Amino acid sequence: MRRQSGHRLLLAPLGGLLLLAGSIAHADSGVGVDMWRGNVLDPRGGADSRPLDPHGTSWLSPLQRRSPSGNLYLCPAASPAQTELGDWLFSGSLDIGFVGVGGDEDNALWNRYADWEDGFILGLLQLEFLRPRDGSYASLRASRISDDDAYFDAMFGRAGSYKVHAFLRELPNALSDSVRSIWNGVGSNHLTLVDSLQVGASTSEQVGAASQAAIERQVSVNRSKQGLGFSMYLDPRWSAFADVSHEQRKGARPFGGAMFFNFPFPDNGGILETLRPVDDSTVNLNTGLRFAGSQWRFDFAYSASFYRDRYTRFDYEMPFALSPVIPGAVSAPLQRGQFATEPDNDHHNIKAAITRKLGNAGEFSLTASLGRMSQDDSLIAPIDCQGVFGIGLGGSLEPGPQNPFLFDCSQWNSSAALPRTRADMRIDTSLLDGRIVLHPLESLSVRAGVRFNREDYRGNWLAFNPLNGAYGYVSENGAQGSVVPGEVGFWYPGAGASNLTRIRNLPLDLQTTEANLGADWRISEGNSIGADLVFNRFEPGNREREQVDFRRISLNWTNRALDWLTLRARLSHLRQSGDRYNYDPYEFTFSSSLPGFVEPEGGVPAHTVDALRKFDLSSRDEDKFSLIATVALGDDMTLGASLNGMRNDYDATLGRQRYDTHGGTVQWDWQPNPRFMASAYYGRDFSTLELANVNDQALGPDPSLGGPTYPLDAVWSDRDRQRNAYAGASFKASLKRLTWDGSWTWINARGSNRYAFASPSALAYFNDSTSVPGNAFPDTHYRVNAITLGLRIPLGGRVSMRVFDTWARGRFEDWHYAGMEQTRVIEHRVYTDGGPRGYRNNLLGLLLQVRL
Amino acid sequence: MNNSLLACTFTLAGLGLIAWPGARADVETFMDLRNIAAVQGDAAAGKANSATCAACHMQDGISVVPLFPNLAGQHAEYMYWRMREIQQEARADSPMTALLANLDDTQLRNFSAWYASLPPAQHAEPARGAASHASEGARIWSEGDATRGIPPCQGCHGRKAEGHPLAAEVIRWRLVPILRGQAAAYVTQRLNAYRDGAHTVTSSARMMNGAAANLDDASIEALAKWIETGESK
Repeated sequence: MRRQSGHRLLLAPLGGLLLLAGSIAHADSGVGVDMWRGNVLDPRGGADSRPLDPHGTSWLSPLQRRSPSGNLYLCPAASPAQTELGDWLFSGSLDIGFVGVGGDEDNALWNRYADWEDGFILGLLQLEFLRPRDGSYASLRASRISDDDAYFDAMFGRAGSYKVHAFLRELPNALSDSVRSIWNGVGSNHLTLVDSLQVGASTSEQVGAASQAAIERQVSVNRSKQGLGFSMYLDPRWSAFADVSHEQRKGARPFGGAMFFNFPFPDNGGILETLRPVDDSTVNLNTGLRFAGSQWRFDFAYSASFYRDRYTRFDYEMPFALSPVIPGAVSAPLQRGQFATEPDNDHHNIKAAITRKLGNAGEFSLTASLGRMSQDDSLIAPIDCQGVFGIGLGGSLEPGPQNPFLFDCSQWNSSAALPRTRADMRIDTSLLDGRIVLHPLESLSVRAGVRFNREDYRGNWLAFNPLNGAYGYVSENGAQGSVVPGEVGFWYPGAGASNLTRIRNLPLDLQTTEANLGADWRISEGNSIGADLVFNRFEPGNREREQVDFRRISLNWTNRALDWLTLRARLSHLRQSGDRYNYDPYEFTFSSSLPGFVEPEGGVPAHTVDALRKFDLSSRDEDKFSLIATVALGDDMTLGASLNGMRNDYDATLGRQRYDTHGGTVQWDWQPNPRFMASAYYGRDFSTLELANVNDQALGPDPSLGGPTYPLDAVWSDRDRQRNAYAGASFKASLKRLTWDGSWTWINARGSNRYAFASPSALAYFNDSTSVPGNAFPDTHYRVNAITLGLRIPLGGRVSMRVFDTWARGRFEDWHYAGMEQTRVIEHRVYTDGGPRGYRNNLLGLLLQVRL
Repeated sequence: MNNSLLACTFTLAGLGLIAWPGARADVETFMDLRNIAAVQGDAAAGKANSATCAACHMQDGISVVPLFPNLAGQHAEYMYWRMREIQQEARADSPMTALLANLDDTQLRNFSAWYASLPPAQHAEPARGAASHASEGARIWSEGDATRGIPPCQGCHGRKAEGHPLAAEVIRWRLVPILRGQAAAYVTQRLNAYRDGAHTVTSSARMMNGAAANLDDASIEALAKWIETGESK
């Protein structure tokens, strides 16, 4: 380690900057998460800019060391040269330079989590101060690619005493670069149609022309986060910590806009892809007290989060007119749709854990925690309309007994139409967890644990309108009831007395009990086997099963008998089963449970088909295996290979039936000396998901498969296959005074979807057999190829230059977006996002690194 | 930005460097001991030529002068490489510099083998054991001091200062000296030297530089006392 004197004049302003940084920092992020700041240019927070330490990892052992799994540890970066400043040692570096992007530089996928712009950048500023006398330290790292892609991270403290940590981070996230909006006000909570369109009176052609004329734009949701953390030792055994962070998200993203489905009615309804605003903030708080003694450990912690959305709701204007299915009738004009945004909510959790060491390296621990998630946000009115909504018979929009399907907006468009104005809902959680590990023999380790967890929903919601005695909620912004008489989404006496609709909340209480027992036995030096038994019982409230059990047995084997080979194998079998499956436990949440409900002619329609099994509660058998081999090819080279597979067989006639995955990887790593390293990998993975369902043919009460509601000729099945291949290689080489680095990444992912159906009755919109499509959708395809080559050139004792170039190409084929280049408006369906696009880009960068 | 600009940039950069003078001179005197072989020597030959050594370290390798270390029963690897370090450092203020200056490698190995073969001095067990916190020295030895950045000595030197527990199996751990019973004056002098960065030419010394960097005089005194006697200061 070299120490040099001087540079006080240079360091004085930098020190001032550090102090300023400390004073403007706001908060921190949590325990164990989000503790490392980096960006695309500097993913390892500056570690890549330093040469590797020629002395290796530790003074205690030779250069190359391997992990327990047999892989080589990475050679660490060399300690920076330090300058003496009185008691303090200083090291620092500054990377500044220029990047230029050529090609499809605005492409969203190229810019995902990065914001490349031509111009000057701060690659990395690193400052580090150490005072060996008492272990005090202070450090700062900062990088800026653009206003939306930057970070600042500073900390100071004294080893073994205290630490203060602060950061700021701006993280971009481009979602789409192919958005054409027919609305103004993107990013706000109020979308108004462009001037060329009339609210509720535009034709499909006019909307299509407005979409075509709209300038294609990028939408993104950028995050800005600030954090502050503090931890300290109260004495050698007691420590305390407190971390607080604040994150803001801002932008817009493609979203829905329901104004009644359009598929069977070419000139009616409206399926709108709107752009919803994202403008929220979350404060996270983690604090705790820990004791670590020679026999006992205690951990007391409190964590909380507070989510706040700037908007309670957002609305959008409807471009199309609606028309009723009744001849001679008229639909009420509807001008706006709306959505509630995510509610403001709070989360609190307290936790206490106690651990006692037992003899022979055994340990017993007990953890208890209580939590509460709550929201009491203001509730929005059921509809945003003036006048009337629904259907006027005989061409009249005059409310009254003569118009049983026409409704007065004033009885639904304010919070007075709600049973209460705030949500007042919460979920309480509780957890108790006990574990013990014993070593009855030196070669035998035994472990056991029990865990009990509950989620209790508190608060009830009955959707009752005190203004008119109706139950339920206006569906699709009133559009559905303005097309089909009575399909308004709420139950009301008289004409609506047979309306089947949702009227209350569904508490999804859950109790989970787990017991596990396992052991590892070292049969011989370098050879060990293990087994684990796990039993889980889920007891969900208001679900199809009241009790679901799963039992898993797993076996593992690790072999290190040969110096050059580490083998790890694992095999497991899981069986999930449960009590009787009730296909409809939700009746109490529907209007059919109301006293005044009148059973419709033909009976109450079945909730769903009784043969359907929801995949999370379905009985199933799961088998898994993995085999990992790590081969040491000499002291400095490793070859690894792995195979894995999983088979899931679901006991379901309808629903998910099969989910299988398998794959394999090969990787190679060579570190002959600290001046050269190279690695390469290749992997394949495959998955298959099969499911089946049935298309209902009538609104009948018979839930049985094969009955009139769900006839067998309406059954369809779907097989989704994913095939992925990926490869990469990298190297870093110091040849004389030059340091070269390079990397290559290749991804080729293909998804295919094949389907089968018993007859055209199985299909929703192709019951004309002449237009029935084939048996597969076109494959989706995602391919990325990226190469980076860099060169660092020393220009003197303190200055070096890094030149790097990244060439990247992405190609995407997704049939969901087929035809979007021609038009985004099909009948009354308006699509805003044109989908992902391919790119071919080149990024050239030149950075000057100055050692301060 | 076209790719020809990239090609030009790399080409110019490459040409620039070809002309750039001078590679960094590495520390050629540094001795990396992390992968050493076992030290073999002729103990009888070592004994035959040990008269000069015995003047200070005594014939039985158990010194009577507190500033001179006991050699009896010490790891041969530690003694051999320590002598190589002294030769390399060639410090003018060390009497050992002149004494070792003209010894060849075989002689160093022979002396190491001879003193390693001698029975170590008999020491009483530490009065309260290393796990006891009865003294400041025992506490630092056993636990270090996290608040001052001091690691526990026992991690390498053994719970009772008897050397690394794996020394019999792993050669590099024989570079860690057996300290039990060494005189406090000698230990103090060595720790001061490590703390002040006086030794840097071996990987072992560089590790000890870091381990001793935050020891103050009082801590060194307490540790030395505990090593010598196993008792409280």
